Amino acid sequence: MRHLPLDDPGTPDHRSPGKFLLWLMKGQWRTLLMGMVFGVVWMVCQAVMPAVIGHAIDDGIAARDTSGLLQWTAAMLGIGILQAASGIMRHRFAVTNWLTAAYRTVQLVARHATHLGATLPKRVATGEVVAIGTSDLAHLGNAMDVTARAAGAVVSFLVVAVILLDTSVTLGLVVLVGVPVLLLLVGPLLKPLQRRNMAQREMMGQLSNLATDIVSGLRILRGIGGERVFHERYVRDSQKVREAGVQVGRLQSLLDALQVLLPGVFVVIVVWIGARFAVQQRISPGELVAFYGYAAFLMIPLRTSTEFANKWIRAFVAARRVVRVLDLEPEVGEPDQAYPEPSTTADLVDIESGLHVRHGLVTALVSEKPDETALVADRLGHYAPGEVRWGDVPLSGLPRAVVRRRIVVSDTGSTLFSGSLRESLDLRGRSDADLLAALGTASAEDVLAAVTDGLDTPVAERGRSFSGGQRQRLVLARVLAADPEILVLVEPTSAVDAHTEARIADRLVAHRAGRTTVVTTTSPLLLDRVDQVAFLVDGHVVAVGTHRDLLRDEPGYRAVVTREVEDVEEVEA
Amino acid sequence: MSQTVLPVAEGRHVGRYVVSLAKRYPRMVWGSAALHVAAALAALAAPRLLGDLVESVEKGTTVAAVDRTVLLLAGFLLLQTVLTRYARYLSFVTGERVLAELREDFVENTLALPVGTVESAGSGDLLTRTSRDVEQLGWSVRWALPEWLIAVITAVLTFAAALLVGWWVAIPCLLGVPPLVVGLRWYLARAKDGYLRESASYSVMNASLTETVEGARTVEALGLGPARRARIDRDISGSYHAERYTLFLRTVFFPSVEVAYLIPTVATLLFGGWLYTQGSVSLGDVTAATLYVQMLIDPVDRIVSILDELQVGAASLARLLGVAQVPDDRVATGREPQDERIDAEDVRFSYVDGRDVLHGVDLDVGVGERIAMVGPSGAGKSTLGRLLAGIHPPRTGSVTVGGVGLTELPLTDLRGHVALVTQEHHVFVGTLRDNLALALPEDAEIDDEVLLRALDAVDAREWVEELPEGLDTVVGSGGRALSPPQAQQLALARLVLADPHTLVLDEATSLIDPRAARHLERSLAAVLEGRTVIAIAHRLFSAHDADRVAVVEDGVITELGSHDELVEREGSYAALWKSWQA
Repeated sequence: MRHLPLDDPGTPDHRSPGKFLLWLMKGQWRTLLMGMVFGVVWMVCQAVMPAVIGHAIDDGIAARDTSGLLQWTAAMLGIGILQAASGIMRHRFAVTNWLTAAYRTVQLVARHATHLGATLPKRVATGEVVAIGTSDLAHLGNAMDVTARAAGAVVSFLVVAVILLDTSVTLGLVVLVGVPVLLLLVGPLLKPLQRRNMAQREMMGQLSNLATDIVSGLRILRGIGGERVFHERYVRDSQKVREAGVQVGRLQSLLDALQVLLPGVFVVIVVWIGARFAVQQRISPGELVAFYGYAAFLMIPLRTSTEFANKWIRAFVAARRVVRVLDLEPEVGEPDQAYPEPSTTADLVDIESGLHVRHGLVTALVSEKPDETALVADRLGHYAPGEVRWGDVPLSGLPRAVVRRRIVVSDTGSTLFSGSLRESLDLRGRSDADLLAALGTASAEDVLAAVTDGLDTPVAERGRSFSGGQRQRLVLARVLAADPEILVLVEPTSAVDAHTEARIADRLVAHRAGRTTVVTTTSPLLLDRVDQVAFLVDGHVVAVGTHRDLLRDEPGYRAVVTREVEDVEEVEA
Repeated sequence: MSQTVLPVAEGRHVGRYVVSLAKRYPRMVWGSAALHVAAALAALAAPRLLGDLVESVEKGTTVAAVDRTVLLLAGFLLLQTVLTRYARYLSFVTGERVLAELREDFVENTLALPVGTVESAGSGDLLTRTSRDVEQLGWSVRWALPEWLIAVITAVLTFAAALLVGWWVAIPCLLGVPPLVVGLRWYLARAKDGYLRESASYSVMNASLTETVEGARTVEALGLGPARRARIDRDISGSYHAERYTLFLRTVFFPSVEVAYLIPTVATLLFGGWLYTQGSVSLGDVTAATLYVQMLIDPVDRIVSILDELQVGAASLARLLGVAQVPDDRVATGREPQDERIDAEDVRFSYVDGRDVLHGVDLDVGVGERIAMVGPSGAGKSTLGRLLAGIHPPRTGSVTVGGVGLTELPLTDLRGHVALVTQEHHVFVGTLRDNLALALPEDAEIDDEVLLRALDAVDAREWVEELPEGLDTVVGSGGRALSPPQAQQLALARLVLADPHTLVLDEATSLIDPRAARHLERSLAAVLEGRTVIAIAHRLFSAHDADRVAVVEDGVITELGSHDELVEREGSYAALWKSWQA
């Protein structure tokens, strides 16, 4: 078996769903081919079994020939064992084919997602990409898996057709024409069934979401006593799912019955013609039994070909979704011609807002509207288009990797990732001492004290095991530990209490001494500690100075940062 | 976190439950069983008729006789078709009904779980039960169980029909049993764990992928790309190992059962042939016997291959039933509160044994009073808030409303007295109307005007009415995304609708822009005139507006008094107030 996952999933052809599927197949053609070979052997073994039984009856039993009977039963045993052996080999190759396609797709999507970075959430809904991991990979795998059986189905169908034609042209034609006709007869029922199935599955998905809601929402429900109303709603939706299920059952049971009737009609016709031939001595009793066997066997390739068609239709739908994601390109492209990297002491200037970020200082950005300062932060990190100069170099003239390494922006959407606390905090191979220092600056010692295994404590997906305030401080500690040349923090203390914010404000400036830091905030606790404050109005810097200077000289600034206090004073007055 | 796990029901309990479910719908269960038996019987006509055909052909017969036999064959086929249709339909209807009942029971039990139990067990376990176990059980009840029962009926009847041809058919059939049983036992002992590990490995992989996609910007900003790719490759590797193990199980199991199916057919031919040469059976008997034995393969194969599915289904059912076994943390005593005064006396509480987070808190809250609780993170403010709202019972001491312990009140009564809103901004799947209606008191009509007034009280009416679909907007997972401040407004609007006498607000406006928060709190205060409010706040203006301020530090209340008193006292509150005002 192939070693999975592949070290390199390769460069996919994502021009169309069909081309993508073809590319997947090319990448695993050897195992596909082996699967087909075993699939053919396996199915042909099954196909010839009725003939062998027929011969055993005719040449062994009816002829009262013991050695003939022994010969034919031995042949049957041999073919049966070959069938079992080739069957399991086919299965093994089919599983390999399934896994190769599924894993490769996940690898491709994950790699492309990390390549797209900030562009991804802007261009495609998260659910679309996540669906690739939960359902599309199975559809792609199924398409690869089914090829082995489909090859066996085609060949065994032909083998049986040849045997039948050889015995009787009439019977051969009945089979050759009858089987495809049966295939077409079931067809019209499949579409509405699929539709009802899908409708029910969608409702089931929603119902499941509702049940899952209890887990995250139980505390909220308990807080306001909403359990009963919630349960009533669940019952209502659950009954709707039940009714939809009955609708599915109505059609499904019809289809189940048809799957008894149609092959049965076929068997009756074959037996009828065969028995008449037998009466006329044109075929032997054993051959009659064999015909019955063939007619029953042919339902297998029949079903396989329907399955093949269904699985490939679904694979196309899945491939379309994969291709749509793989087709995306990062919004921030690479420069045509890279400038030499700016020196480590260069200042950063945002031309549009007129913000001048001085090297080695902590600069705070204040604005009435938090969106405006967040946009400036995005430009400084080259996430949003705009003219930013770093020393003599335009930011857009540097490779993306260089900008990301030297300038780190921690926005309000920053998430934690699962793993140990150490893995979650350490981006650049820092020592535990560095991590602890960063946790100290972020005033997150209490987070560490509350867990049992220190830095080895596991962090749940997206840091869900921590409260909002704890997550924000861990996110802050993470970028502080990374210690980038230029660090841009967007509203880093919005979810922490005043006590803690005061502590962070005291420690942050000392921690970043000598490094360039930009922080957007309106908190007086934080503003009082930074080196310089830039005040923005309508996206432009209108004043620069220390917090105290601006408080004294800028009425607009005072209104923004002390509005809460002033409101209080108004009340007191 | 302690290692509490939610209980799992025992096998006996699961069995009793299944029987009681079947007893609830006797007509449907027995009706569909009878139809399935009839359908299986109709199917058994074919081999016998074919055997007769072969026999008569050998002995010499007429075309007319053949036609009669074939007509009979067609008649039985038609009968089988009709019976199959109704048997299947009835079992679908039964399955759906049983399933609906199962999941509704489960959800009801889950909703009654003590919050403390859910938290200490971690959300993962419960999440698996509400999603994967319910789904797995659905699959088992809808498909696996009926399919398995049909297969059992078919197999038993087919075997009986084969015995009717002659008792000797039992011998070749029994030859197949030893390899089948040995293979099956070996496989079943390993399969469940193997497949559970396999499906868990996909959940891990998907979680990593989801995390990477949701945090794509963070991944780019922090240069986490290579780490995320390595992580996903590692998950894939884990999944591959799990897959290889189950593949190994099948590689042993499949051939062994296939050989077990082959032996009886071969032996029937040999044994029947020998008996025929002895003159003790007819050619028609041998043919019919061979065909019956071959017909047995399909139902037996289904019995065997569905067994592991049923095993997993039973395990899921055991986990779902287990939720009902969690002991309740509240005991209704039937005592009625005298008034709405909230009183906490010498309250101690721990989440983990031996690690108290509250060390003897006393707090007496007058009716209509507004109390603000401030203090550093981790000091126990939120825990105290939850005890004051009756979410947890105190370890020692008491929290009472009108002299009655909060956890002595049934949940439905409790919320008329005290309600809690925290900073959690979870939005439930459904429309905005659904989200709000959660808080309506029992048998209250859903009146849009009432809902909109509640939204107005939390400054949210404007944006809700601006939505194209207004209250009908679908929100929550998969729906329209609400911003955290909007979600908090929604939570507060629910509180207005719940209309309790006492409200506990745990940083309930923390995600809302300070200026808007202040406005919101004031408009909320107007609506809540006369209600008792206990607000945990990280913004000091909330404290300033309160009647009394309680400073919580290290699990005790260190300062308690009005804003002005505390500022004069020059304790830690005064220090904080000063630095904030600087």
